[in-house]
Amino acid sequence: MKRFLLALALCGALAAQVKLPPYTREVLPNGTVMYFMQRAGIPLVRFLVVVKGGSEADPADRTGLASVTAELLRRGMSQYTAAQFSEEVDGLGGTFNANADEQSTTISAEFLSKDFDRGLALVSEAVLHPTFPDDEVRKTVARRVDSLKSTKDAPGAAIRPFYQTFFFGSAHPYGRVADEASYDRIRRAEIVEDHKRLFVGKNLVVIVAGDFEPAAAKASVSKTFGAVPAGEPFHFRAAASVPRPASTRVLLIDKPDATQTYFVIAQPGVRRSTPDRVPLILVNTLFGGRFTSMINDALRVNSGLTYGASSAVQMGRLDGAITINSYTKTDTTEKTIDMALDVLKSLGDKGLTADQLASVKAYVKGEYPTRTVQTADQIASVLAEMELYGLDRDEVDQYFSRIDAVTLDQANAVARKYYRTDNLTFVLLGNAAKIRDVAKKYGAVTEKEAKLPGWAPASSQ
Amino acid sequence: MRILWASLLLAGCLMGREDIKTQTLANGMKVIVEEDHAIPNVAMYFFYKVGSRNEHVGATGVSHFFEHMMFNGAKKYGPKEFDRNMERNGGSNNAYTSNDVTVYTDWFPSSALELMFDMEADRIGDLAFDPKMIESERGVVYSERRSSVDNNNFGLLDELAEAAAFEAHPYHWPVLGWPSDIESWTMQDLKSHWNMGYAPNNCVMVIVGDVNFDQVMALSKKFLEPIPRRDPPPPVRTKEPEQLGERRVTLSKPAQLPIQMILYHIPDSRDPDSPVLDVISTILSAGQSSRLYTQLVDSQLAISANGGFGEALDPTLFQITIQPRSGVDTAVTEKVLFEQLTKLQTDLVPDAELRKAKNQRLAGLYRRLKTIEGRANLLGTYEVFMGDYSKAFDEDKRVEAVTAADIQRVAKKYFTAKNRTVATLVPEKPEVKP
Repeated sequence: MKRFLLALALCGALAAQVKLPPYTREVLPNGTVMYFMQRAGIPLVRFLVVVKGGSEADPADRTGLASVTAELLRRGMSQYTAAQFSEEVDGLGGTFNANADEQSTTISAEFLSKDFDRGLALVSEAVLHPTFPDDEVRKTVARRVDSLKSTKDAPGAAIRPFYQTFFFGSAHPYGRVADEASYDRIRRAEIVEDHKRLFVGKNLVVIVAGDFEPAAAKASVSKTFGAVPAGEPFHFRAAASVPRPASTRVLLIDKPDATQTYFVIAQPGVRRSTPDRVPLILVNTLFGGRFTSMINDALRVNSGLTYGASSAVQMGRLDGAITINSYTKTDTTEKTIDMALDVLKSLGDKGLTADQLASVKAYVKGEYPTRTVQTADQIASVLAEMELYGLDRDEVDQYFSRIDAVTLDQANAVARKYYRTDNLTFVLLGNAAKIRDVAKKYGAVTEKEAKLPGWAPASSQ
Repeated sequence: MRILWASLLLAGCLMGREDIKTQTLANGMKVIVEEDHAIPNVAMYFFYKVGSRNEHVGATGVSHFFEHMMFNGAKKYGPKEFDRNMERNGGSNNAYTSNDVTVYTDWFPSSALELMFDMEADRIGDLAFDPKMIESERGVVYSERRSSVDNNNFGLLDELAEAAAFEAHPYHWPVLGWPSDIESWTMQDLKSHWNMGYAPNNCVMVIVGDVNFDQVMALSKKFLEPIPRRDPPPPVRTKEPEQLGERRVTLSKPAQLPIQMILYHIPDSRDPDSPVLDVISTILSAGQSSRLYTQLVDSQLAISANGGFGEALDPTLFQITIQPRSGVDTAVTEKVLFEQLTKLQTDLVPDAELRKAKNQRLAGLYRRLKTIEGRANLLGTYEVFMGDYSKAFDEDKRVEAVTAADIQRVAKKYFTAKNRTVATLVPEKPEVKP
């Protein structure tokens, strides 16, 4: 390796710290937080509006409310009908998307720089003055119920909501996934109420990133969003912990025509703000977060059992899960799951080597600039994340030194702490007639047919 | 909005025509470089002009299989070493295979540039064909097929639809290959494929990012130029005969919702009708104001409706995919689609709608320039499919030149009943248990 570095000394130091470009943060009198990140270049401007709450704010029996509300923002407002709004956005070559995740609703729109004012007018109209026409509500909800059928026809997509519902359970916000019944209960009045409660100054973050004129942008954004009622910030619930179950649990989802088994092996994890986040990212990348990771090396490269095997650490506002995810043809289900468990066990038993740790540090730092600070869109997302999770700019500016500071002992301690082999949760989706006996080997099995309504095993109706 | 690239140049720090430097090595490999020092990273793309169109019956999918084998060891860097070295030096990679090309995509910090040249030259010039790795990788590719085709209703119907639309030309078979071919590929198939498609003169290398041109050329001469020139792949001789009547195919399998794919033969990417068809695809399905969204999705007949086509060296297909709502007869969604295509033939697209579609396409071009990987892919794609990377800088003119009359003429020419294939996934009724 050294001979290459010497030859390229002119290219500068290896992996110099990447830093966030200059930006401003201000709070309007009504509580709205504004960020401006100006960068000349591609003549586009990104508007990112973040509303705290997300599906955490959904009433327990109305899961999906925040998500439906987000989708409906553009489907009718004071100044435009749904059709007029779409004509305007498309006519400018713009984009407008609104989605809700576990902790927030995000409205993301992009326009040509020269259309800044029209873009801002469209975004603010949809965010602040939607009318939620009743026929649009009914159409959206009906389409979503049908989309669930489409999801259940696609095993690779369906396993995730089945796993979430089973692993977290209905007591945890991440275990409540919208289904036919919860959509069916959503009414216009609740959407209007949800919007009135959450889309208020104290609960809004507005981020403008890209090529724009800063003074004029600040003036117009302040004027538009400064007029919003202050309201009350959404009070996130106290952190729900994810206890390790008392025993191993297995959910078997039957899709009789499946020719391969999709599986998730889950255990309790962390929240985004955990002090363990940097070593944990390194450990997970080594275990299942890159091509040469331990799990992909074993299941794919060495044995050809699957096209892909990975692990993921959920990093939301609340404690989440750490999962192993893969799939294999039906008759190698047992072999593949056993192998995944062996790799998991060996991480704890053998630990990591100094060479592995050095490799993963270089890898995470090497790809970081392309994913985090390359585009205005990426930077806008980083700013949103900082605001949402209460982090500061050191999250980026000090990231490399935090990575460098992780010792082998720390990494191994984190590996042992989080990558355990006891009382795991298994979710298998495949041809149950052929893998039922395999499933039983891992623990007490609960079964559900994939095609039935709902995600939770008990809710078949 | 009018002049796309001119405004990019004014912006000062984006790709313009004069920012691109090229040179062709003595062995015929073309090198295209754009320096960009905004982040300390590099996108290095190798476009090999070989894909499933160059295959033959019995060894379908071998281009894609070969793509996988390129990561399984060569003379200097053995099995796993390419990925391990790359990741240890802060890089990552991927690759894709299409009907027409096989593309290797490397992303890494500029400090790893020389290593990447060394490793790429090693596998291009001296790939190892380890029988053990071949067997293991066969399982990986079969798993890929099970995920994207056998257990994916859209993938399965797409394979059937294209096989029905093309009866003679090699676009008939899937890029992943037929299952029996996946089971049967031999070492000799792989070696023949390498020999046919991986000559340096059959490759374009694009590098965008934190490099300088002289340094790239010095490394290219050192590592890549010694690889000898060979014959490029033989021309694909078979041309698809004109279709003389509507084709209908059906896929019956357990599912909750049907899917429809309607395909029309259209010309290759260099044909003057291609930009007109681009604008048509935008009018049909880009955004919630598009014709198919309003007439099929907003009207509650479908969950989704999209139309379009990709770059192609040979005449290809314009494909519309619809997933009807439950309880909606596929005959109804089909009828609405045909009415919309007929409308393109009978009524001139209004000026405002044409302007909208052009704006959407031009803004879409900007979006492809945001990242070094986006620009590397754009330059290589234009070089291979349009014959010259610099045609990317005229794309705005091609879009602007499209008239309402062009759209009407092109719609009449291609969207005919005789020229179409209709593929439908019909959900099987579950068996009644005794």
